[in-house]
Amino acid sequence: MAIKLPGMYGHEVGKQEGYRVVELFIGPQHPASGHMRMILYLDGDIVVKVDPDIGYVHRTVEKLSETREYVRVISLIERMTIIDACNVTLPYVEAVERLLDVEPPPRAKYLRTILCEINRIASHLYGLGLGGIFLNHSTMYMWAFGDREVFLHLANMLTGARLTHTYSVFGGVRRDLPQGFKDEFAKARRYMLKRLKEYDKIFYNNPVIRGRLENVGILKREHAISLGATGPNLRASGVYYDARLTGYAAYPDLDFRPVIGKHGDALERIWVRLREIEVSLDLIERALKELPEGPIMNERFTKGIPPKVRHWFEKGFIKLPGGYVRLKTKAGEVITRAEMGHGEITYYLVSNGDIKPYRLRVVTPSARNVILFTVLPIGHTLMDFPAIYGSLDYFPPEADR
Amino acid sequence: MVLEQLATQIGLPEWLLRGVLAPLVYPGLGAFAAVALFIIWAERKIAAKVQMRVGPLYVSRHLGGALQLLADGIRIAFQEIIIPVTVERKAYVAAPIFAFAIIAASLAVIPGGPGVYGFSSSVSLLVPFALLGLIPIVIAVMGWASNNKFTYIGAGREILVTVAGEVTLLASLLATAMMYGSLDINEIVTMQIEAGIPGIVVNPIAAFLFFVAALLMTDRIPFDVVLGEQEIVQGPYTEYTGLLFVLNMALDYGKLYALMLLFSDLFLGGWMPFNGVLLGSLAVFIKTLVLMLIAIFLRSVYGRMRIDQIASMFWSRLFPLALVSLVVSAVVHIVYTP
Repeated sequence: MAIKLPGMYGHEVGKQEGYRVVELFIGPQHPASGHMRMILYLDGDIVVKVDPDIGYVHRTVEKLSETREYVRVISLIERMTIIDACNVTLPYVEAVERLLDVEPPPRAKYLRTILCEINRIASHLYGLGLGGIFLNHSTMYMWAFGDREVFLHLANMLTGARLTHTYSVFGGVRRDLPQGFKDEFAKARRYMLKRLKEYDKIFYNNPVIRGRLENVGILKREHAISLGATGPNLRASGVYYDARLTGYAAYPDLDFRPVIGKHGDALERIWVRLREIEVSLDLIERALKELPEGPIMNERFTKGIPPKVRHWFEKGFIKLPGGYVRLKTKAGEVITRAEMGHGEITYYLVSNGDIKPYRLRVVTPSARNVILFTVLPIGHTLMDFPAIYGSLDYFPPEADR
Repeated sequence: MVLEQLATQIGLPEWLLRGVLAPLVYPGLGAFAAVALFIIWAERKIAAKVQMRVGPLYVSRHLGGALQLLADGIRIAFQEIIIPVTVERKAYVAAPIFAFAIIAASLAVIPGGPGVYGFSSSVSLLVPFALLGLIPIVIAVMGWASNNKFTYIGAGREILVTVAGEVTLLASLLATAMMYGSLDINEIVTMQIEAGIPGIVVNPIAAFLFFVAALLMTDRIPFDVVLGEQEIVQGPYTEYTGLLFVLNMALDYGKLYALMLLFSDLFLGGWMPFNGVLLGSLAVFIKTLVLMLIAIFLRSVYGRMRIDQIASMFWSRLFPLALVSLVVSAVVHIVYTP
């Protein structure tokens, strides 16, 4: 039973006759708030209104990106979602590539896809782990974070860094596939598929967890669309949409099919994440199988390299020309989008032909999903609030930018 | 026996010696301190094993980090006890100490071995139950005195949980008492030893109910709604720091220890295979430890249940089961009484 509170503050509500509303401040100093504050209005144990107070980790990424050269912006926007660094930078790189009229070679597109999917698995494991600890299920938390190491190791092998690996750059990628990566991935895939079965046993099919998540925080299909929810939260509500279907990187060649839920409750959102890990593993496997031979960087940037340092190319590393830092794009506007672990990210890049972006507007998936906090917990108990928070996989630093 | 000889040697009356030694040494607070040190270490190590971690390691590396809790305890003993200006000072400080004293008092009645008890009475089964029933009131005082929304909610949850759990606990205690026709714990243990069958075999339903209700009353996962870290920080204990916080943390372990000691007396035959004071006490102690290990292992399997689910589970499923256990007891009593 939800009480409608049109545009009313908690202290006003408390004075209304018949209402006994408690204003509960969860965060920013709270075990389960994240870098944000939630103001909950409780009638008894029932949540009647939620006011998510965001902005605690706002780092002016959009403004800072106007002060940096194009290539230096990549390592800046990575910091928005450090756990999902490839997915968050890829649409920006593609936007600049479109302004530069540069097309990455097919092998680079495949390598980007591989790293994006590795990142997505790591990001989903992060979300699942937090979803576990929000229900005080410490085993799920530790397992997911421990298994995430496997994929950080793969990313490390491919790029040389665990998290902020600035891998996709304009015109291609910075490193070629290392030797032994395919074997290592096959091992990781076998391990993860085995672990997913164990996750199902201890978490997804655990009667206590099921009781906590089933029919909690139901997001109906129409509601999900009208609110602009995105990512697994949207797909759990039964909407057939994934930005990967729009066909960027190598996704058009890989016969990608998204995971779609039905009811859109918290359990379904967890289920979508678990199944998406399987889909991502399949995608990487297919991408590795169909990986085309060839260069990993567009000719335009590699032809000017002096022969002295060209031997780096044979080792699979890219040496970029000095002018790469001061690339000039043509004037224009581009919109690009990509599917991150948390949902769809959109970049709107305006260039006036300078070496720096004129304006870079970012709409991150968490910024779109934050509205769900004001809708989903209404009518549920206080104890359901962490369950809903955990199922949304909300990442405050990403929303605040 | 041993205590009587000791009493005559020192020249003190035996009841006084018993009344001091039982709550303070064994099975009282001294033994509880050792149990708490071991159990919390084991809890961390077992959970770590399940969760692919190492657990406590750096303090006393050769003992597998067994002294970690001692190190934490020493650190926290020197920590400043911050008393917020908004709290009711007297109630805030007194409540944890009072709650802990209640646990020590309840341990004076539960026998920890043959003849190892503080007081014996013909209704000694009801005494620990009545004493432990006081703790929720003290915790409610704590929550109120702390003057914080999280502690209010935690205190409310404690009361709700106690109401649900104590009925089931009392029903299982009464089923046991009915089965043996006695309210004296010592007599119940003696009857089990004479029959050669522990209570858990005769009435497993009552034993199960006792165990589950004990988990609820001591805030073990999956019933840890009172602590409820993800919603209400630390429940009624949110505002406490330093030694007062340690007392609160030990409170749940103390309750668990007392209830599991009672469980091993009522359902596992107490000092069953032995009759001597030392070996018998050791048997009770080890049984209690094993029961506590089972209780803490649940942490690595389950999450936290919602309050309404707990309430409906206890009132609509376990309470009818408690009535069944009473019927079982009645049948057993009629069949086996000569």
